[in-house]
Amino acid sequence: MATILKAENLEKVYRVGKVDVPALRGVSLDVEEGEFLSVMGPSGCGKSTMLHLLGGLLTPTKGRIVIAGEDLTAASDSKRTDIRRRKIGFVFQRFNLFPTLTAEGNLRLAERIHGNGDDDPGHRREILRLLRLEDKMHHKPLELSGGEQQRVALARAVVTRPAIVLADEPTGNLDSENSAIVLKMFQELNRRFNQTIIMITHNPEAADASRRVIQMRDGYIVEHATTVRTP
Amino acid sequence: MDSIVVSNIRQRPLRSAISVLGVALGVVLVMLFTGLTRGMSNDLQRRNSNVRAEIIFTRPGSIELTSASTNLSTKYVERLKSIEGVEAASPVILDFYPSGAFGVEQVEGVEWDSFAKMNNISLIEGHPPRAFDEIVIDETKASRKHPVGSTVKIFGDKPYRVAGIYSPESGARAKLSIEALQNILETPGKCTYILVKCKNSSDQVAVAKRINEQLPGNKVQFTRDVFTSIETAIPSLGIFLRVLVGVASVLSALVVMLAMYTTITERTREIGILKAMGASRRYIISEIEREALLISVMGLAVGFAFAAAAGFFIHKATGLIFEFGGLWALTAAAIGLVGGAMGAFYPAVRAANLDPVHALAYE
Repeated sequence: MATILKAENLEKVYRVGKVDVPALRGVSLDVEEGEFLSVMGPSGCGKSTMLHLLGGLLTPTKGRIVIAGEDLTAASDSKRTDIRRRKIGFVFQRFNLFPTLTAEGNLRLAERIHGNGDDDPGHRREILRLLRLEDKMHHKPLELSGGEQQRVALARAVVTRPAIVLADEPTGNLDSENSAIVLKMFQELNRRFNQTIIMITHNPEAADASRRVIQMRDGYIVEHATTVRTP
Repeated sequence: MDSIVVSNIRQRPLRSAISVLGVALGVVLVMLFTGLTRGMSNDLQRRNSNVRAEIIFTRPGSIELTSASTNLSTKYVERLKSIEGVEAASPVILDFYPSGAFGVEQVEGVEWDSFAKMNNISLIEGHPPRAFDEIVIDETKASRKHPVGSTVKIFGDKPYRVAGIYSPESGARAKLSIEALQNILETPGKCTYILVKCKNSSDQVAVAKRINEQLPGNKVQFTRDVFTSIETAIPSLGIFLRVLVGVASVLSALVVMLAMYTTITERTREIGILKAMGASRRYIISEIEREALLISVMGLAVGFAFAAAAGFFIHKATGLIFEFGGLWALTAAAIGLVGGAMGAFYPAVRAANLDPVHALAYE
């Protein structure tokens, strides 16, 4: 399998007043295409910072990130935005759906930003069927349960066929039943579409849904991705 | 349409309504003030254009914007008629009385037969003023519930019976007999000016020259110069209108800017989500500008509708005349749209430059 993401010696230092706070202290990571990877660690270990760097929302103080052959770190802000639009899909802990739009509208917004419109209605239908959202599309987020909202968010993230889906604590706001459903959806997307997924979580049960887990602490990867966990 | 622009406007109806009204206010200001200026000016021009006489013979300083003197002897009428090139001469007293929307209205004292013949006006109902308490009025004044036989109060509470209605409009809307006005003003044998009709209109300059030579010491003017538009009579009115347009522009821009700024602050996290989804700066700015333009368009529609309705009802209530011009309507539309777009630009740029990580974490 090809390497779809390569991060080399990533460092990120935040300037807080007159103090430099290192969030990442030299993280290297290779992710293969079609991998489902979990990143675990206690609060403040740098997992969210790493996710934001991998998604191009932040620039590293040092290091290099290459996603599907494109160097994110050498890119300008507008170029990073362009790479993010084409290659990255985000899923957030708080769902982050647009409350004034229906589920359908949220998906169409993603497609409009991506610029592909209705290029592949078949792919769209398959995602909706897989995530069991066909009869939810005309509802606004407030009319949906937490689990349904997260599934809509997941659909929004994958409908544009990104190279990588970055999920930041996707089950953090869900009960155990809905968490299990959403994690199963992640697995299905990974299995059916060979979707590469990097998921941040502090929940070992959520991490068990993935195929590889790495542990972070104090800005380092302390347990590298050599252990393969079978879901 | 499941559009983020439309849904955002619908989601915050009160704020959207206030923004729309802010834009509408600018439009209403421009339309009503320019409409009133045009209406009153064109009305005055229309009435003045129906004064067929080419020359006004008067004493210096006897006619001002809201006052007139009665210091010219009517004996000049016959002397003017004897001058070569003069077809007819008719004396007129011009006076003002407190009334109407502007606080003052004109009234003229005329020799009806010579005046009507000279200016080609005729009675469509009733008869000329004969008694001292009779007046004739034009159709516009008659349309405001003053039929023949009704009374109109002039010079305070003194009632005058409407003896006739004439057409077309010419000069003051109400006319008494010259003797009646001379009696009121205690100026027998006097008038404000004498209208002079030339046998040949193209000879008016030569006729005026002869009048000056034969009757020196008086003021001889052409009616085309005296009966001018309000804008020419009050040059600063144009400046006032331009200042008004500028104020309306700033008002619209400020209202939209404040509304968009507040909206952006409330939707900081949504902007962070858009950025996480890969929305470019241009996309974010265009979405916000589209929302502002939609608000502006709605403001234009409300503003034009309100201006038209207000003009109609104000005219009904006060007699003030509004004429809405296409060019000013385009100006008002441009003010609303450009003001809205410019007002939203700073908040839009600010939104586009938000740090996405901070925006996503915003509560």
